[in-house]
Amino acid sequence: MITLTNLSKIFRTELIETHALREVNLQVNEGEFAALTGPSGSGKSTLLNILGTLEHFDSGDYLLDGQSVKGLSDAALSKLRNEKIGFIFQSFNLIKDFSIYDNIELPLRYRGLKASERKSRIEQALELVGLHARRDYLPGQLSGGQQQRVAIARAIAGQPRILLADEPTGNLDSLMARQVMELLEKINQQGCTILMVTHDPDQARRASRHIQIIDGQLHDSTLYDPVALAKGA
Amino acid sequence: MDNMLHSLALAYRNIKRAPLPYLLTVLILSLGLGMFFSNATLYYWLNHDPLPQKSQTLFYPQINTTMQPCDSCNEPLRVLSYLDVAKLSRSDIPSAQAAMFQSAGYARLPAKANQTPMPVSLRVTQRDFFTLFNVPFLHGERWVDDSARRELILSKATAERLFGRSTVVGETLQLGNELFSIIAVLDDWTMLPRLYDVANGLGASASADIYLPWETAYDLGIKSNTTTMSRDSRNYNENFAVNGREGDFYQAQFWVQLDTPAQVDAYKTFMQQLVQSEKEAGRHPRPEANRLTNILDITEHFNARNRQLDAFALVSLLFLLVCLFNASHLALNRYLASQYEFGLRRALGASRAQLQQLVLADVMVSSALAFALSLLVASGAMALISTLLPATRSLTQWSPQMLLAMLATAFAASYLVTLYPALRASFGSLNRQLK
Repeated sequence: MITLTNLSKIFRTELIETHALREVNLQVNEGEFAALTGPSGSGKSTLLNILGTLEHFDSGDYLLDGQSVKGLSDAALSKLRNEKIGFIFQSFNLIKDFSIYDNIELPLRYRGLKASERKSRIEQALELVGLHARRDYLPGQLSGGQQQRVAIARAIAGQPRILLADEPTGNLDSLMARQVMELLEKINQQGCTILMVTHDPDQARRASRHIQIIDGQLHDSTLYDPVALAKGA
Repeated sequence: MDNMLHSLALAYRNIKRAPLPYLLTVLILSLGLGMFFSNATLYYWLNHDPLPQKSQTLFYPQINTTMQPCDSCNEPLRVLSYLDVAKLSRSDIPSAQAAMFQSAGYARLPAKANQTPMPVSLRVTQRDFFTLFNVPFLHGERWVDDSARRELILSKATAERLFGRSTVVGETLQLGNELFSIIAVLDDWTMLPRLYDVANGLGASASADIYLPWETAYDLGIKSNTTTMSRDSRNYNENFAVNGREGDFYQAQFWVQLDTPAQVDAYKTFMQQLVQSEKEAGRHPRPEANRLTNILDITEHFNARNRQLDAFALVSLLFLLVCLFNASHLALNRYLASQYEFGLRRALGASRAQLQQLVLADVMVSSALAFALSLLVASGAMALISTLLPATRSLTQWSPQMLLAMLATAFAASYLVTLYPALRASFGSLNRQLK
């Protein structure tokens, strides 16, 4: 489903070049739940952004469903993001003066769905995350965990093939984090491929696959262990 | 349509998010547009073609027939004498021709002897005046010929002011000490700029209240209240019916309608031949200086451009540019504050075209507000200009076409103000805006 071949990304300033990703090769199959771990600045978020086509890469190739995203126009990339990819962010990124319903509706509008179709999909998504009764609330009236569930509902309402989650529990306490993880597992069981960036080894263990990044390179599928890393240093 | 309505609702929500910066942006934009609109309005009226369907055929002839010898006088006088008009009128080349001048008097209803006479503006002219300038009649018809007759034609406003109605054909009116019968009432009519009167520098003033036959004015000793010149020793305050007609007394404007280039050439030849015969008769001591000026060139010809208004128009344009720059700066701050939201929308699948639709809705709302506010500012500014330059009072009005053009300008200005900030906000790097 996702194939990265010798993919590299360099951030350039006037003074220095930073190799965020170096010759990354990766294959992710449909239905996988992969955890992306690594120390801060190792390139996890950059990789996730490239997979979500929010960021360009400098060399190599990225095939999504067998089609290269290289050279796609902005409109084609927008369509691809809208139809195939769902995003979950650490800080939820809900529009605070939009109701829960309106927030979830946003990507569906961009897809050009009719009002009745939008409504049906939003209700299904709200049902799944258990927030149907709060559809008219504003994000500020919900707890952090509930807001993240709204963000998940927004991500899955478009029925994407891939869900990209960037530290989805980073701003939540352990109870809420567990609820969110359970929700992600439930979504994965329904066939959606999930790639999740996390610093939490426990959460990474719950994923079916662990991908470790250090200094922009994929090392192996062992779990990133900050304690072991500190001892080694 | 659903998406556009949604975008408009979002634009309204954006205003509510930060009303003060939004209000400031719209206020600055409105101020610039208002000042620009007020000056552009005057500039437009002074420079537009009041008779587009026939302006190419209307000409102002001048001949240098002053009897006072002067070898270095190579420009004819702005106005003509009665004799000049009589000589030029002999030509049958023009399809219409009329002499005219402006005067003033007092009118009242003869039946109301106690009524205070009302000051009125007069246009002394000939029957073709109404044909030359497409003047519409509401009731009655123009004079049957150009001979002297005690018959007046009133503007509709004057008829209503004097009689309280416009159906006054056949009524009698006292003008000065003389009685006249009213033979026609004009329909609403404004010619802006009033190019036929530019020789007197009155292109921006209102049309006359009452129209009086040319010959009758000479009989009654009515003279122009604007430009009069005499070049001999006659006493024009006495026996004007004779002196005014025979002497070197200049006060008339004269317009001819020449429908084809061939007629223009023929009329020029006629003027040359006329001057030649005058020279031979010893009545043209000055150098030959015939002029035949089209009505659209008459302002430049008489150097009657209002340079103050030109300067005002330029200053207001510069002021608009400064306002646009400032409004754009404010809009940039506003858009950068919502840059994260643009990034989020793109991450959720909005194309740049869809984001541009959002910007467009924002522009439409700010255009509507800026347009309404700028009309208020422009009205105030035009009132001020009218006070400072009373001659421009009749130019301070808007036609539907002008309002449409102003709306389009407001939209373009709003779009310009918003374009750069919107591009900056919506096309920035996505990954830096979202975490």
